[in-house]
Amino acid sequence: MDKSVNKTNKFDILGSMNLRTKTLLAIGLSVFILVLVVIISFFIDPSSITTDWSVMNKPPSLEHLFGTDWMGRDMFTRTLKGLGLSVQIGFFASVLSSIIAVALAFLSSFNKYLDSFVSWLIDVFLSIPHLLLIVLISIALGGGAFGVLVGVAFTHWTSLARVLRAEIKRIKTSEFVTISEELGKSKFWIARKQILPLVFSQVIVGTILIFPHAIMHEASVTFLGFGLSPHEPAIGIILSESMKYLATGNWWLALFPGLSLLILVLLFDIAGENIKKMLDPASAND
Amino acid sequence: MNKKIIIGAVVALIVIIIGGALLMGGTTTERGPGEIVVAAYSHGGEPEAGFDPIAGWNYYAEPLIQSTLLKMNTNGTYSNDLATDYDISDDYKTYTVKIRDDVKFTDGSDLTAEDVAFTFNAAKESGASLDLSALDKAEATDDNTVKFNLNKSDSTFLDKMAYIGIVPSDSYNNETYGENPIGSGPYKFVQWDKGQQVILEKNPDYYGKMPEIEKITILFAQNEAAFNLAKNGEADIVAVPLEYGKETIDGYTMYLQDTIDVRGVSLPSVPDTGEVSEEDNYTIGNNVTSDIAVRKALNYGINRTALAEGALNGLGVPSYDGIAHQLPWANPEAAIEDGDVAYANKTLEEAGWVDSDGDGIREKNGTKASFKIYYSASAPERQALAVGVSEQAKQFGIDVEAVGAEWDEIYPNQYSQGVLWGYGSTDPSDMYGEYYSSSDFNPARVNNSAVDSHMDAAFSESREDSYKDWSAVVWDGTTGTSPKGDANWLWLGEIKYGYFVNERVDISNDTALLQPHGGDLFSNIYDWTMTNSTA
Repeated sequence: MDKSVNKTNKFDILGSMNLRTKTLLAIGLSVFILVLVVIISFFIDPSSITTDWSVMNKPPSLEHLFGTDWMGRDMFTRTLKGLGLSVQIGFFASVLSSIIAVALAFLSSFNKYLDSFVSWLIDVFLSIPHLLLIVLISIALGGGAFGVLVGVAFTHWTSLARVLRAEIKRIKTSEFVTISEELGKSKFWIARKQILPLVFSQVIVGTILIFPHAIMHEASVTFLGFGLSPHEPAIGIILSESMKYLATGNWWLALFPGLSLLILVLLFDIAGENIKKMLDPASAND
Repeated sequence: MNKKIIIGAVVALIVIIIGGALLMGGTTTERGPGEIVVAAYSHGGEPEAGFDPIAGWNYYAEPLIQSTLLKMNTNGTYSNDLATDYDISDDYKTYTVKIRDDVKFTDGSDLTAEDVAFTFNAAKESGASLDLSALDKAEATDDNTVKFNLNKSDSTFLDKMAYIGIVPSDSYNNETYGENPIGSGPYKFVQWDKGQQVILEKNPDYYGKMPEIEKITILFAQNEAAFNLAKNGEADIVAVPLEYGKETIDGYTMYLQDTIDVRGVSLPSVPDTGEVSEEDNYTIGNNVTSDIAVRKALNYGINRTALAEGALNGLGVPSYDGIAHQLPWANPEAAIEDGDVAYANKTLEEAGWVDSDGDGIREKNGTKASFKIYYSASAPERQALAVGVSEQAKQFGIDVEAVGAEWDEIYPNQYSQGVLWGYGSTDPSDMYGEYYSSSDFNPARVNNSAVDSHMDAAFSESREDSYKDWSAVVWDGTTGTSPKGDANWLWLGEIKYGYFVNERVDISNDTALLQPHGGDLFSNIYDWTMTNSTA
C-alpha cells in the first residue's frame, strides 16, 4: 500500500515538472556527470595506473570494477583516464573549431570574393574524409596527443561554418542591417552589434554538438594506432587492444570501455539537444 | 540525424568487437595428407623484398627454398651441406671450400662454385643481409671450389657460410628473383600471395635428407591473428607472443622453444654535444644516460627477475649482458645481484643526482634524470618490458618515458635515447655491431679500447678459441660492457618462442636448433613427421 503511494508520488514529481524544468534537469545531470568524469580523470596520476603482474587478465570484481588487462592494470582507472583525455581533446577541438567557423563565416560576409573563397575552403575540407585528414594532420605535427587534438580541431569546423554563413547572409538582408548601413555604420560594428548576438545561440549549440563527433574521431584515430603509444590510456587504444584478447575470452576489456564511450557521447548529445531547446525555444516543437 | 549516426557507430563498434570473437569459429580449411599450414615462418613478418637471400630473406635461419654451404648442428658446431670440405688459412683470411658436384637448381641448371661466389659477392654489395664487410672477394677457382678472400682476419666467416642461401648466377635478376625464387633447398617455391601467404612444395630433386612434409603454406598472420588461426584449427603451427604462452587450445600443444633472443635497452654513453651521425643526421648522445652513475643505477636497481616473471609472463630468463646463457661464450661472471634500489639510490646520490624540487625525480645541475625508451609498438613483450622498466626506475628517482613507435620513428632516436632492441645470434660477431667503437651501428656509442681489442683478438682465433675473448667483451675482470663495467646497455631478459602445434604434426622438438633472434622454426624440417594425415 505504502509502496504504491510512494511510486505514484515519484511519478507525480516527474509528471508535475514542466518541459522547461525537465530540460534543465537533463542538462544539469548530463553536464554534472561529464564534469565529474573530467575532474576525476584529472586527478588520476598516470603513474598510479601501474602494472601488477599478479592480477593479469582478471574479470570484473569489486576490487577492479572493469577487470584488469594483460599487464594487470586496473581497467576502471584506465577507462576514466582515457575518457578524460577524450573530453579534453573534444573540448579544445570543439572550441577551436567554433572559433575557426565563426571567423570564416564573418569573413565570408565581407565581400563576394571572400565568400566564394570560404565556401571553396569548406568544400575542400568536406571532400576529404575526416579520418584521413586527421591522420595526415596529426602525423604532420609529429603525432602525440597534441597532433590528434589539432587534427580533430581543424576538421570539424566545416558544418558549423556552413550554417553560420547561411544564417549571416539571411540576417544581412534584414531591414535593420540595411538601415545601419545607410546610417554609415562600419561593417565591423554591424557584425559585432547586430549579427553576432543573433547567431550566438547557434554557435553555442554548434560547439556542443561538435563534441561527440570530436570524441568519436579521437577514439577512431587512437584505435587505428596513430598519435599515442600503445601503453597510454586513450579510449581508442584501450578498445583496439581489447580486440587482441577477445579470443582468449577477456570480454570485459571491450565491453565496459566501449559502453562508457557510448554513454559519454550520448550525454553530450542529450546536453546539446536540450541546450538547443533552451536557447531556441521554437525548435522544441521540432 | 547526427545522433542516430553516432549511436549507430558506437553500437556497431561494440557489436563487431564482441561478435567478432564469437563468430570467428568458422569453417576450418581442408588440408590433405602431408600438407601443413604454418603462421610462424619468423617473427619479423613478411619479407618485403621477397625470398631473395641477397636482399635479406632468412639469412639467419633455414631458407627452405635455397641451400647453404654449411648447416648448424644442435650442439652449435657446423656440418657440411653444399660444402664437402673446407680449409681455413692460419690467419683466418682465406677460406677455401669444396662443394658437391651433384646439386641442381629447381630450374634444372647445375649449382657450381660460380653460383656460390656470385651469391656472396652480390650479398656483400647489397648489404641487406649479413655484415659481409670482411669479405674482399669470393671467386670460383674451378667448378667445385670457391675461395673467399677476406680483407681482415675473421674467424666468424665460418658462420656466414651457414647463413646465406645460394642463388643461380645465370638467371639471377635482383628485381624479379624475390618474387620467383629458384634454389636448391628442400622446398621449391610455388606461389606468393602478397600480404597473405607463400606456398612451398617439396623439391623432388633435393640432394639431402628428404623431408616428410609435402607442402607448406606459410601465412603472414602475426600475434592475435595467428592465435585465432590456431583457435579455429586453420593452421597447424602458429607462433604467438609470450602473453599467450599460458593459454590452451584443444588439439594443440604449446611448445616453448629456448631461444638465444635477448631483449635489452641501449643507453647512449656519450653526452649530447650537438654531434650528429654522418649519413642520416641523427642526434648523438644523451646528457642523462652518458653519466655512468645513471647507467649503473639502472642496471643494479632494475629487478630483472620480476620483469621475467611479469612482463615476460614467467616464460623469460633474466639477462645481464645480452649473451644468452646457452651460448658457449656466455659469461656467468657478468651476472650481478640486481633489484638493489638502495645501491641505485646511493650511486645516484654520490654522483650528484638529487631530488631538490620534491617531484620524485632527481636532478643534477638543472638536468632532470629523465630519458625515453623507444620500443616497437607491434611487439607486446617489448611494450611490457619498457613499461616495467619505467615503473621500476621511478622507485630510485629516474624518469623513464616509454614511447611505442614504428621503426622509422625509432631509428632517428637510436643514438640519443634508449631503444629496446632484440638480439641473439649463433654468430658471435653480432657483438661487433653492438659494441665495437667504430661500428656503424653501436647505438650506445660504446668506446672502450679493451672491448675493441678483445674483439680484434677473437676474430683471429679459431671459433673454439675465440669464445673466451667474446665473453671478455662483456666483462674481463676489470672492464667490459656489462653492468660491472661500463654498463652501456641495460640488458633485461632472454625470451622464449611459443608455438601452438597441432597434434597432426610432430615438429621433433628435441632436434630443434637454438632459436636466434627472428626464430628458426624450420631448422629441423627434415625431422618433422605427420602423425595424423588429414585435418
